[in-house]
Amino acid sequence: MSVRALWIISHEKGENVSIRFTRRFATVEHRAKILAGSSYRSVPEDNTVLQLLLTELGLSDSDKSYVALRDDCLHRQRLPALELRVDGPGKGFLWPVLVISHGPLTLACLPLVDVPAEPRPPLASLLSVSQGFTLLAGLQTFLLGSGGKPDSEGLASRLAMLPSVLLQVCPLGTPLDVPLLGAPATPTVPTPAGNQKQPAWKTGLHRGRAVVNVALIETVRSMQYGNRSRQDLWDVYGTVTCKCEVEGVLPNVTVTLTLPPNGSPLQDILVHPCVTSLDSSILTASSVDNCDGSAFSGPYKFPFSPPLEPFRLCSYTSQVPVPPILGSYQLREEENQLRVSVTLKLHESVKNSFEYCEAHLPFFNRVQMGVVDVKVSAGQLDVSKEKNLLVWGLGQKFPKCREVTMEGKISFSGPTPGPTDPLCTELTSYIKLYFKVPDMTLSGCCVDQHSVQVYSSAKPRIVTSRELQSKEYFIWNSTGTAPVASGQMML
Amino acid sequence: MAVNWAERISAFCRGPSRFLSGTTAEAFLAELLRELRDDRATYTVKILLLAPLCEYPTLLCPSDSVGEETALELMSVFDQCPPKSVQFRCHLLLGLTSVLVCTSCVSDRSRASQDFLDLLLQIAQDTSDLHADGALRSLRATACDCLRELEACSPGLLSQRLELLSGLRQRETSRLHQAYAGLHTLVLRNAVYQLTQEAGAGAEHLKALLGGNASIAWELDSGPTQGEDPALLSSLILGPMGTVPTLQTGPDCKELRSVLSSLLEESYLLTVPCQAALLHRLTEVVAMVPGVPPAVFRAQLLRLLGTSEVGLFHATLLMKGAFTDSLFSAEDEAFMLQRLVVLSQHPLLRTPEKLFYTDCILHFPENRPIGCGDGGDETLPVLLTPRLASALVPTVFNDSATMLARLNLLSLVYLEEGEEGEGEGGRGLAYLHEHLTSLLRIMENRGGREVVVTFFRAAFLFLFHFGHVERYSHSVMEKLSAVYLRHTHLAPNFINLADRTQDQLAESSWAVGFLEALQRVITEAPLAQLTAQALSRHLKVLARVAEEGEVPQHSSLRFLSSVITPSSSSLCASGDWRLGNGVLAVCRRLLVHPSLDSLLAPLADVLQHLARRYGDTDVRDHARLYYTLLTTLSREKLAAVLAQGSTEGGRQVKKRSLSSIMVESERLTSMLTIHRTEKTIFRLIEAHPEPREGTQTDKERDLIRNETESCPGEANAALEAYRAQFEVPGFASDIALNYQLTHTESEDSRFDRLFSIRLHFDLTDDHYEPLGDVSVPCLLRERRSPNVRLRLKPRRPYPTTLHASAIFTTQDGLSWLTTLPHIHVAFREAFAPLPAPPAFGRDGKLRLFDGLWDEIGAKSGGEDLADCATSLFCCPLKEAALIALVEEHFLPYLLSDPSDKEEFKVLFFLPPRSHVLLKIRSEDPVHFDIATDNWRLLRYISSYLLTISSTQDHAVTG
Repeated sequence: MSVRALWIISHEKGENVSIRFTRRFATVEHRAKILAGSSYRSVPEDNTVLQLLLTELGLSDSDKSYVALRDDCLHRQRLPALELRVDGPGKGFLWPVLVISHGPLTLACLPLVDVPAEPRPPLASLLSVSQGFTLLAGLQTFLLGSGGKPDSEGLASRLAMLPSVLLQVCPLGTPLDVPLLGAPATPTVPTPAGNQKQPAWKTGLHRGRAVVNVALIETVRSMQYGNRSRQDLWDVYGTVTCKCEVEGVLPNVTVTLTLPPNGSPLQDILVHPCVTSLDSSILTASSVDNCDGSAFSGPYKFPFSPPLEPFRLCSYTSQVPVPPILGSYQLREEENQLRVSVTLKLHESVKNSFEYCEAHLPFFNRVQMGVVDVKVSAGQLDVSKEKNLLVWGLGQKFPKCREVTMEGKISFSGPTPGPTDPLCTELTSYIKLYFKVPDMTLSGCCVDQHSVQVYSSAKPRIVTSRELQSKEYFIWNSTGTAPVASGQMML
Repeated sequence: MAVNWAERISAFCRGPSRFLSGTTAEAFLAELLRELRDDRATYTVKILLLAPLCEYPTLLCPSDSVGEETALELMSVFDQCPPKSVQFRCHLLLGLTSVLVCTSCVSDRSRASQDFLDLLLQIAQDTSDLHADGALRSLRATACDCLRELEACSPGLLSQRLELLSGLRQRETSRLHQAYAGLHTLVLRNAVYQLTQEAGAGAEHLKALLGGNASIAWELDSGPTQGEDPALLSSLILGPMGTVPTLQTGPDCKELRSVLSSLLEESYLLTVPCQAALLHRLTEVVAMVPGVPPAVFRAQLLRLLGTSEVGLFHATLLMKGAFTDSLFSAEDEAFMLQRLVVLSQHPLLRTPEKLFYTDCILHFPENRPIGCGDGGDETLPVLLTPRLASALVPTVFNDSATMLARLNLLSLVYLEEGEEGEGEGGRGLAYLHEHLTSLLRIMENRGGREVVVTFFRAAFLFLFHFGHVERYSHSVMEKLSAVYLRHTHLAPNFINLADRTQDQLAESSWAVGFLEALQRVITEAPLAQLTAQALSRHLKVLARVAEEGEVPQHSSLRFLSSVITPSSSSLCASGDWRLGNGVLAVCRRLLVHPSLDSLLAPLADVLQHLARRYGDTDVRDHARLYYTLLTTLSREKLAAVLAQGSTEGGRQVKKRSLSSIMVESERLTSMLTIHRTEKTIFRLIEAHPEPREGTQTDKERDLIRNETESCPGEANAALEAYRAQFEVPGFASDIALNYQLTHTESEDSRFDRLFSIRLHFDLTDDHYEPLGDVSVPCLLRERRSPNVRLRLKPRRPYPTTLHASAIFTTQDGLSWLTTLPHIHVAFREAFAPLPAPPAFGRDGKLRLFDGLWDEIGAKSGGEDLADCATSLFCCPLKEAALIALVEEHFLPYLLSDPSDKEEFKVLFFLPPRSHVLLKIRSEDPVHFDIATDNWRLLRYISSYLLTISSTQDHAVTG
């Protein structure tokens, strides 16, 4: 349940590599030595580890097209747990090295193997592996912020805080907690003497007016082919985020999600560890199983005791009968130009009031656009500065008929080649939609303000909100070959 | 002097061995401890200073005794530290834990570790910090963590304190209860484990243990031996096949049950990592005590099964592995597997977590596993239907790791299905094939290196699982060979794929067919567009093809012949050495090809043509040699001469003779590369005392005795004359050490006769100038060991250790690199006799001695030369013992008349410029008056004197 060492490195695609932070846990190493006996491999010095790690991640020798050690086809990188081949005296394998990367930052740790090491045990038998992941993920969020955008100064100052952070969350190699993202914004007071034990994940107590904020965000993804032989795909997942400022050591709050009468059940529900109890019927519906029509369809009650900081109370997936926007996209090669024809239809069940709605038409593996002779029935059309992308802004509303079209011709005659993409060659091309609709969900799921119960003396202020947003919403050109996005539909 | 500690500490942590080569671990440790005691240093710096002790305690404290001393020092620092420096005190506790655990002071129950344990228990019970700042982690929590780590490293250490810890945990209401809970659970688990190992232990013992009443017939005294048992440190949950030691208690374990339910009830209050660890420890406890039903966990299960946290779900999976159907029903099992599939592709999870869940599917702890899913084998759970698994089919939108993991999983699924007919499995397989084709297309469309590597890995996986399905494996072969000509730069990947499929699929002929297909596309392509670059890649492929006995080689030869004839290419005229060698590489393999008889004429033509026309002499010569071999040797001889080139690791002497001059890029690499020995082959041992310079001067002294002395009469003048010698650069600046190079006992006969040995020495500190390499012509086991003389030039004459390595050649012509055992240079080995001018007789040297003695005596107290010092060493020695000691150790350095037994004057000269003077008076105890012009030598000299006097004592008295 412990880790032997921890490394944080930064690099730009294998270049400018530097070790930003390392920590070795000597007592865990001591245990590793006893546990492994003669098969014990000590952890080499940092520079060696770094080299091995880069090779294993396929980032070393970026100037060479084939390096046997790095590119052997037999050797499948068993991410998330790598095996580092240590050379020289005491050679052998360091395993399992857990790695998580985001942008230029890579975090790695070496969990302790506390079951017999020969034959190699499955990852699943080592609790230290999931503990290691939790630690790495927590550190990553701490270093990059919840937005995940690294800025070098912020990163440096957060790296400087790591020694004291580790004293709190992992003083001797056994992870105890994940780092807090910052002090809670509300005033807190130390624990009063009392019988109720304070949760270890709660750094203090809230004092002041009770406010409960529940935000429901649904995300829709889609792959539309406009092709009879291939089924269009779309899926929806929702998250409920809470921020609760409630007095008491262990206050009780209940949030209830409800569906409209004929709504399809929420599936794959995952809950935050602060949820105190669950009804088994809530968990039964699953997206990977036969959907049982008689399945439980709410209300979904989530009793919990909130931590001080904002948290994701639960998430779910849902199967909705239609995509919110149905599109068709046709490209034809004509002499030296492309003939474009696009139709987008907003489904009648979707509120026609967007925060934003944009369609992007990128063109890869071609030179820059020359003459763009394209008409749209609504909205506004822009050509990007690099001249390889059409941006069709649809504004806040579709027209009354709920349908917009684009027709026209584009010639490619620019001097410089545009971006390349191995997937989108010839007529393989897509439109990507970006939109957000406030105050609605596709599944119909909602959190009623009155259904939020807070068991405390003062009457709390309760704020709820919901919205729908798109992510990876693709409409493929129906005249080209489009890649398969899910084999599930093919089988 | 201000030392930039931040920089030094980070330099140490970046590369401890490199850092310590500039100083010694001992000196660095001393520095750290001194600075830690220094009141002027800030606590921020002091926290930094503890980092090396926390991270590399064994490097700084190489022995248990040093660890013990260091721990005592740190504890005194802790005592003197004001209570408000909480952070520093916390780090000190961590440092102490690291030092004591890693130097095995804890497992030996040393005094310092007992003191530390008491200190930690005292802090853990001290609740006076109630009003401390909640944001800071309190000392108490750290003390609990340290106790937990001590218990983890030395299981059973706290078994006797179980009741105390339980009480502390129950009383605590602040967030600290978590630290107590973690400690309590671990101690409980270890104590129960120890009981399972006691014959006849039962319910009574368990009760006594939990009640803290150790006096009842329980003699589980934690002796020093128990700490190092790996079984105690291991996880006890090995899945359904593992065995867990059990404690027979009968159904009545009220006490244990109540402890367990109290811990479980509060588990909700713990952070995720602590909760997962607690659940795992309690799973182990319940698994060991059959009297407690696993149902104690039931109340927690729903909460855990619905969790979004990987740690909690994982702990639940492990729990399932331990209890199977005694806690998890068939529905639970189906639900958990379904969850794993959902989690493996959940849009809100991070990729590494999803990959972990995918991995868990292949090691799913089934209630009733079919077959023995022991070890690391990947097996499909029975409940994983193709329909369920279809949520995880690989797509081109996956990142490469996810795609490969899914491809592997789905291949296993369809493999099973496929055997039962052409139903869904057939469709699934068709999909995977289609997917591979899409990947190939993407790779062709200028996919980057990662795409290429991923494709080949996917192709290998597909072939590995479905190589036997003719339809698909043949299609893959055709598609690949069609791609080759357009992407010849992928030749190494193609060859690699052929190699691996051949290795891994012993029964399949796919690789051979694939190579044949490549041969076909290469030889049938029009030569007009052939570039030199593509040709060189083709030659590599053809060379690989030529290794296959089953593949007819005529087309390869036709191809060679057409590329070297001037009409079709300018290859011969250009005389490119690499390309020439590429052609030769193919030819060389053809020379040993089974169908050589039918290739004879065209091969001879190619070789002859090369030998005559090729624009590069080296290639011409090689071709001529091959030609001669081909035309003069019988097939058997030819095969024998060339065969070893391809049999890796053959050890015949002739390996070197011909094949090494054959072809540049052959497996000759084994000849050209330097191999590493696994064991030490030879070592340097100190030579038996042989005439050293000291004894020579003895002889000189006798010679000179009778001559007229030309030495100045005054001590000062003698000193001046003596010092004048040092003006000559390099005068008396080195010490010579004599060794013998001998074989170690290892029996490997390959290394009996070694040649051209080149010894290389690396310093481990900067007290000496770097050494040059030393060559030894040969080392033969049956002959006398050769002598090796090292000339060390000290900068500071301190003891040191040299790392030695050597490169040598064995009889079969291979080169080897080996390391030798470290060479320790003792302090006494830095001694040299006084380098007085030859004209000085004994009297002259004595005058010099007196002069130096007086000078040091005068200066040691003064300001100007602070390096001088005097000291006194006393020890009880009988007169006979003293004389023996002087004769044994001091004779070469003795200046006074040996017959004068009252006072001996001894002078050690230590290059480059240090002197240690001894006046030894045989009183009781014997007085060794010491004077030196380098006070840093004092600690070495006193330990040296201590060693020799104590052994002498034994030698004479004993």
